[in-house]
Amino acid sequence: MEKMKLQKLYSDFKPDIDIIENELEKALQSTSHLLNDASLHLLHAGGKRIRPLFVLMSAKFGNYSIDRMKYAAVPLELIHMGSLVHDDVIDHSNMRRGRPTVRSQWNNRVAMLTGSFIFGRAIQYVTHIENPKAHQILARTMVEICKGEIIQIEDKFRINQNLKDYFRRIKRKTALLIESSCEVGAVVAEADPEVTKRLKRFGYYVGMSYQIVDDVLDFTSTDKQLGKPAGSDLLQGNITLPILLMKNHPKILRFIERASKGIVTEQERLEMLQIVRKSDSIKQALKISDQYLEKAMKEVERLPDNPTKKRLKEIALFIGKRKF
Amino acid sequence: MPGDCMKCRKQCLKWNGVIPMDTTYIENQIEQLKKAIYRQVEHRTLVKYTGDPLVDENQLFYLLLPLLNGDHWDEENYEGVIAVGIVEASLAEHSYIDEHDATSKVQQLTVLSGDYYSGRFYEILANSGNISLIRELSESVILRSEHEIRIYEPNRYAIDDWLETLTIIETECISRFYQLYNYNHYLYIMKKHLLILRLQNELLNYREGNSSLLLQKMMESFQRSEDMNFEHYLQNKIDGLVHQLRELLRTSSMKSELKRYIEERLIRESKER
Repeated sequence: MEKMKLQKLYSDFKPDIDIIENELEKALQSTSHLLNDASLHLLHAGGKRIRPLFVLMSAKFGNYSIDRMKYAAVPLELIHMGSLVHDDVIDHSNMRRGRPTVRSQWNNRVAMLTGSFIFGRAIQYVTHIENPKAHQILARTMVEICKGEIIQIEDKFRINQNLKDYFRRIKRKTALLIESSCEVGAVVAEADPEVTKRLKRFGYYVGMSYQIVDDVLDFTSTDKQLGKPAGSDLLQGNITLPILLMKNHPKILRFIERASKGIVTEQERLEMLQIVRKSDSIKQALKISDQYLEKAMKEVERLPDNPTKKRLKEIALFIGKRKF
Repeated sequence: MPGDCMKCRKQCLKWNGVIPMDTTYIENQIEQLKKAIYRQVEHRTLVKYTGDPLVDENQLFYLLLPLLNGDHWDEENYEGVIAVGIVEASLAEHSYIDEHDATSKVQQLTVLSGDYYSGRFYEILANSGNISLIRELSESVILRSEHEIRIYEPNRYAIDDWLETLTIIETECISRFYQLYNYNHYLYIMKKHLLILRLQNELLNYREGNSSLLLQKMMESFQRSEDMNFEHYLQNKIDGLVHQLRELLRTSSMKSELKRYIEERLIRESKER
């Protein structure tokens, strides 16, 4: 349902997104059957393809050509996919998007090689673009994402962290890749530098909102909707915004302590979900997400007149209100 | 002095090989390259939990070989060898991930150290606009992944296929660097030597009862195709490669000090193993 809403929103881009989808499939072709299976397994599990979409939408503010833009859009999705495969190794996750993860279907080493293969393809693909600026943006993003993940590991189960820590972490974890999608799209399409800056900021704000909503959905969605157990973030020790906004709740503190020892029962998980869902923190977190969205909208307002402006706003709103 | 040569690249370019070159000189150069790689990927948390990046001194030697032999060498080449060293370190980190359980903090950070190094190689080359080397190295990562994953495939490969896989794992990144900068005259020597070293290492582990998964796969292929003791086969293979390498060295126009160094390395490594 939600996916259909999204597809409707980007119906203008449907033919080009289809090209990207085909290119993704081509990019993941390998001489190894196992690598083919493992990487296509993830590709076919779906995904919203919002990163390529942001690349294409931003490129509409410059000299748009899908033949050129595909070399920017495809790598952005591949970087995202590669990092998911490696994240599942780190988190020991068995399910993603309702399917077994590469690591659970094969093993961690296969997942590591699959992720490296996908990263390799992403970089190889983007070398079709000769503009060093595009490479600098992508490379910096890859490095910063890793730094964000390293901080996330350091911060696991650390209850004495503050909102600043959280925002810094999600900036690197999610916002940067969406920010870069917008910036790279504009840079490769040779958009005006001022327009590029606005699109970059738009991507950052949307990315922050996106991750906050993601963190909320981890508590409010069902296991089926998530394709994994609800509350997994906290079980893994990731203290997200809803928890930070209610971190002094004694039962939540006790839950975190037990989760850090790996001794949480199913009953306790369900109880924790009830507490979080009933609390005010979900509403507060969504309010913060909305504030980021408002900032994103302001950036769109300042962009030159272009039919894509309307689409950018709609996509941003969808991201703020999505239910998956 | 060797150190000055690196810092003052103009001198380096004019260097005509008159400076006496002995083992200490070569090892100093390798040490400097190692430190340069460390500096480029330094990260407080990673150093604390996963230690320094894993770099192979034999690979570093071959990366520096054109410089040591007095070939054209400039800032771009030196930055290139740092990038290649970082890619090797990235892939080496990932090879330490446990097949079934990577949940410890050290294992989790080992996953990220490999990814971080991989991002850094790209960032270094992107900042200098060296897109050709970015392409070569990304393709070598793809090829290496395709070969390394073979050990998990149900397909049966011939023993020569496994030797090809080992060669690609050990030499592909350096080969790409050589090809891009026209250092192809070192290619065969480098490939033979690094394969010998890997096989010697595999043989030692086999004798100690710690065969790698790749060696086990080789043994399976061997049992089906040869009527010979596997250890004997492997030793023969190594001896044959050593003979070929010596022949290559004999006919090579490389500086005699470097030939001697490679010979010493061969003897030293075989004694150590």
